[in-house]
Amino acid sequence: MGDVTTGQPMIRVSHLTRRYGRAVAVDDLSFEIGRGEIVGFLGPNGAGKTTTMRILCGFLAATSGDVEIAGHDVHRDPIGVRRHIGYLPERCPLYSDMRVDEFLRFRAALKGVPARQMRERVEAVKEQCGLTDVGRRIIGQLSKGYCQRVGLADALVHEPELLILDEPTIGLDPTQIRQTRDLIRSLAARHTILLSTHILPEVEAVCRRVLILDRGRLVASDSTDRLRQLRRGIVRVTAELKTAPHEDPGTAFAVLPGVRTATADKDGEWRRVRLECEPGADPRSDIFRVAVEHGWTLREVRMEENRLEDVFIALTSGGGSSAGETPERSDS
Amino acid sequence: MRSFGVLLRRELGAIFLSPMAWTALTFFLAVMGTSFWMLLDLLSRGAERTEGGEVIGQLLGSIFFWLALLIVAPVITMRTIAEERRSGTFEMLMTAPVRDGTVVLAKYTAALLFYAVLWLPTLIYPLTLRLLRPFGAPLDGGALAAGYLGVMLIGAAAIAAGVFTSSITRSQVTAALGAFAIICVFFLAGFLPYIPHGETVARTAHYASGVSHLLDFARGVVDTRPIAFYLINTAWLLWATVRMTEARRWK
Repeated sequence: MGDVTTGQPMIRVSHLTRRYGRAVAVDDLSFEIGRGEIVGFLGPNGAGKTTTMRILCGFLAATSGDVEIAGHDVHRDPIGVRRHIGYLPERCPLYSDMRVDEFLRFRAALKGVPARQMRERVEAVKEQCGLTDVGRRIIGQLSKGYCQRVGLADALVHEPELLILDEPTIGLDPTQIRQTRDLIRSLAARHTILLSTHILPEVEAVCRRVLILDRGRLVASDSTDRLRQLRRGIVRVTAELKTAPHEDPGTAFAVLPGVRTATADKDGEWRRVRLECEPGADPRSDIFRVAVEHGWTLREVRMEENRLEDVFIALTSGGGSSAGETPERSDS
Repeated sequence: MRSFGVLLRRELGAIFLSPMAWTALTFFLAVMGTSFWMLLDLLSRGAERTEGGEVIGQLLGSIFFWLALLIVAPVITMRTIAEERRSGTFEMLMTAPVRDGTVVLAKYTAALLFYAVLWLPTLIYPLTLRLLRPFGAPLDGGALAAGYLGVMLIGAAAIAAGVFTSSITRSQVTAALGAFAIICVFFLAGFLPYIPHGETVARTAHYASGVSHLLDFARGVVDTRPIAFYLINTAWLLWATVRMTEARRWK
């Protein structure tokens, strides 16, 4: 798989199942993540991402199955496991009555950072996360973006080998999203990262490998590039042109070599034709030739790239992928 | 045990920086001050019962103590765990390398320390009595210490009950009402020995009667049975609280 796995994997999940009463949140999930990998954990809302991450951190117990982090069993050695993990929970809950410095020192001490390294570590993560100016501010008065950074600083403060980040960019503005992604990429050199999101460009921008979860099941686990190629079978071409009202460009294009289907719809006086073609076909020059023969004005011929989104929708059967539809159970 | 110290400091900070704490202190001192004022009034009118022990019983073991405890213990403890679960900070806390027991114990200890701080200003009442000497003999120091011991023991159990109810719900109001109900039932059951029910009932009820325990302590009677009673109740309530926080993983 081209993983950077050396020896023992960082995360080993085997046959993990988690039920809430009768509802199955995670269903027989198995995967491994090697040291140094950056893995995107993808899936529609309610797919079981947060549940899985909470189990990895020992906040929830598994109904059945085993989880090992850096060789420690989550169930038998929860404290040992947590020492290796820096966890950023969803929505980033922090003690809003504390000051940033005070909170980071508290968390560092709680996570066993020795007193002599305290100042150095807190200053280092503040620098890393862009918090140097807000050390004296009370967390409850910070903006969402800053809260997220404090949460990230907290996750980093004890220099964990593994970072588990649950929706690290949710609720941020575009600039902050870019900054957070850059920060995560810069962390990749020294940490193994598991990052959940339902925003696809995020995964394409940051991760080298993707796990796709749907209704508690693992539906794909592969590198970002290979997943994109999964759908390389079908070639999609879109053409926009102007024809006489009675003419139907769809039927004219449908007979071209390699074209399976062609459907036309109207956009004002322009028509947009969508073609699905055989693998490896490229009907673009034929489209131009036909348009010239008929005397049609052609303004665009475009071959679509395979996007991860298509793969995602195909794999998760498009169900429940719109945001905020099935709120993930946030029990604690 | 470093994490216990770290957590305790955080919890104390959270209590002492909250307006709730100062409201509770004001309420508590208003109630205990009224109690003391009524006691002084009683003494100045030359009441019969001016024996030292009785005075301490009036001071520490009256209905005012129970009124204060019924309000103050739920208010101190209601946010301890319920609020962390409601706001989600519990997830952050419990994914740090700390044991559930350490977290519960730190929260409990902080609440108990605050309860002790509430009582500190009331030391001025016996001090005043000692200086004024409204009755013949000086105030019995031993009985006073025993009275405060009783106050702390009952408080320790009441606060354990409050931390427990805070662990079973996300709502602070529910937690407070739960603790209030437990302490209230315990307080009312304390009157059982004083109601004619027959010898057996009265003697049995005496073992669990906070009202009579406290009056005994205030007379200087330090009996190991009530001490064990409160320590055991505190212990199992805290144990149940730890089990509740552990059970949350399985829900």
